[in-house]
Amino acid sequence: MTQAEVIAKLQPVFDDVFMDKVDVTPQLTAKDVGEWDSLVHITLVLSIEKAFKIRFGVGEVEATRNVGDLADLIAKKLPA
Amino acid sequence: MNAVSIDDPKSLLADADPRFWDVLRARTRDAEAFEDLLPLSTLRRKALKRGLAFPTGAAPVRLKLAIVGGCSLFPLHELIEHFLLNAPGSGFHAQVFQGDYDNYVSEILEADSGLYEFAPEMVLIVPSFKRCRYQGRMTDPIETQREQGVQTATQLLDLCRTVHERSKAEVLLVNFPLPPYHDPGPFRGRTLASDWNFRKLVNMELGLRAPSYVHTCDLEFLSARRGTLASTDEKAWFESKQPCSVDLLVDLAREVAHIVTGLRQGPKKVAVLDLDNTVWGGVIGDDGIDGIDIGDTSPRAEAFKAFQQYLRTLPERGILLAVCSKNDEDKALEPFEKHPDMALRREDFVSFKANWMPKSDNIRAIAQELNLGLDSFVFIDDNPAEIEIVKQFAPEVTGVLLGPDPSRYAREIMDARLFEPRAITVEDAERAELYKQEAQRQQLEANFTDMDSYLSSLNMKCVISEFRTVDAPRIAQLIGRSNQFNVTTHRRTEAEVRQVIEDPAYCAYTMRLEDRFGDYGLIAIVIGRVEGRTEGNVFDVDTWLMSCRVLKRQVEEETVNEMVRLAKARGCTRIHGVYLPTKKNGMVRDLYPRMGFAVALEQPDRREFELDPMLYTPVDTKINVIQRAYQPL
Repeated sequence: MTQAEVIAKLQPVFDDVFMDKVDVTPQLTAKDVGEWDSLVHITLVLSIEKAFKIRFGVGEVEATRNVGDLADLIAKKLPA
Repeated sequence: MNAVSIDDPKSLLADADPRFWDVLRARTRDAEAFEDLLPLSTLRRKALKRGLAFPTGAAPVRLKLAIVGGCSLFPLHELIEHFLLNAPGSGFHAQVFQGDYDNYVSEILEADSGLYEFAPEMVLIVPSFKRCRYQGRMTDPIETQREQGVQTATQLLDLCRTVHERSKAEVLLVNFPLPPYHDPGPFRGRTLASDWNFRKLVNMELGLRAPSYVHTCDLEFLSARRGTLASTDEKAWFESKQPCSVDLLVDLAREVAHIVTGLRQGPKKVAVLDLDNTVWGGVIGDDGIDGIDIGDTSPRAEAFKAFQQYLRTLPERGILLAVCSKNDEDKALEPFEKHPDMALRREDFVSFKANWMPKSDNIRAIAQELNLGLDSFVFIDDNPAEIEIVKQFAPEVTGVLLGPDPSRYAREIMDARLFEPRAITVEDAERAELYKQEAQRQQLEANFTDMDSYLSSLNMKCVISEFRTVDAPRIAQLIGRSNQFNVTTHRRTEAEVRQVIEDPAYCAYTMRLEDRFGDYGLIAIVIGRVEGRTEGNVFDVDTWLMSCRVLKRQVEEETVNEMVRLAKARGCTRIHGVYLPTKKNGMVRDLYPRMGFAVALEQPDRREFELDPMLYTPVDTKINVIQRAYQPL
């Protein structure tokens, strides 16, 4: 799956988590979204794991800088 | 489990349609996994934020819930709020206090903490699983290990007692999930020091020692049911201090809402059963008594018999059985009377309706016969059309649609969680017997032409007693579930009943009744409070309720006779009664005036009454009062 494909699949996950509409782009970071605090972040990560049927390693998500990085991390975990 | 599509509630929300809440409730009931629940929870938050109205008459009840614990309480608290709002009935709108991470011990022990400032009605404690470990060696003497387990449990229960005594709140205590790890292998069973056995020990001690105000959220059971591996998520602990996997979090939140609902709503009392393809396989009208599946002749017949055997255990919990079937009555009765392999017999049912009228009408008729509210009825059928008709025309009744496989019927009923015992009392077990006697009495009543001679013929005996500690569970149970003959509907927990017993300002009594057909047990309760006023003491009737089983037996008259006697003994110059109307207690609207009280205040939401005890002449009844309250035996 390409980064763009992953990001397209992330959009509905974000829609389920956030109250207000968030446009998912590679540049997006938590700072850009008012609702995206450390608590909602927990829910977001858990939801992404469920949606893609993957498991992040401990600390992996923390190391990503933006949604683009996160999408790359997800793509790496998906079966080829 | 298929992913729950949320298109439906989404568009309803977009249209600001109040039906949104019903759809949300149905989706929530069916959702099992976190990814199914989360979108629903987000929709709920959006709807609340936008102020979407609730359907008329179904606004959720407000509830102040505090959650404290040894883990992160997010997103647990959000899931709990979601399940509470979507609980059966009108649900609960929870105002939640969230304790700080792993700060529950000091929050409970410090009397000036935010927890007490919040004044919760219920407190949920999620203790730290990490602190439930044996400190010592696997090879220590078993007794040493057991002592530590007991100590771990009693320390937790001490916390529960402290929080209950300080806040008067009911306490929901989460116990410990079982670990999924192989280590230490088969040796885990030979010691109490293994996490596996130690947690089981502590959980068992917690359960067996818990006082009535502690309600266990059994995470041991829930983790076993879901699977211990699927319940564990180590990374979620290290990254965000989650106590368990998100799926188990869903189970826990649902359980909390289930317990809260059980504490606040009346229990189910009657199971109404269809017959064809429900209690036996096949259609009696077509297949005949030799053609139906029941007994030991085939796997299918065995499954139906096992289901009947399960149903027969319900009356032991105080659940009444009734039949509602589309059949000719004589054909429907035949298997109960003649088939040798039926586990259920005609006498197991308090009512038997086999006819061709709509089932909703029949269920209403049964409710009237038994003098019970429709909302205490559960209707069980294999036919979705019948379930739907009852839902439309008797919406208060809870329907259970059986699936296609009779081997799962019992499980389906058990997992619908409608007949779970709270505190089982002796009266529960005897209730089915009582209702049968009631049917005989009605028969007798029909034979008498005048009420007086009928009442005399009953040989009624009444024992009146001040509140006694031994009766506290039954008193709390009656206070919790009497809706119709109940002038104020003030609810009290068992702990609060005990406070009434200890406080000398209260003058509270119970009445027991028996007659020649049987013993009704404890059937009426009065809680009075004697208050000194300048013009003399006043006997304030806080609670007056009675089981509807004994209506029209002159118990009301004897209740007032006793009330007046006690008021005089306490030097009262006035008895003051209140009627607070609810949807269900219309039958006691005029109770006080009927008993000779004068109307003192008349408002739509409140009526007040007064009686001067000196001007009251005791009513002569057909009841022989063999003992009175606050008197030596």
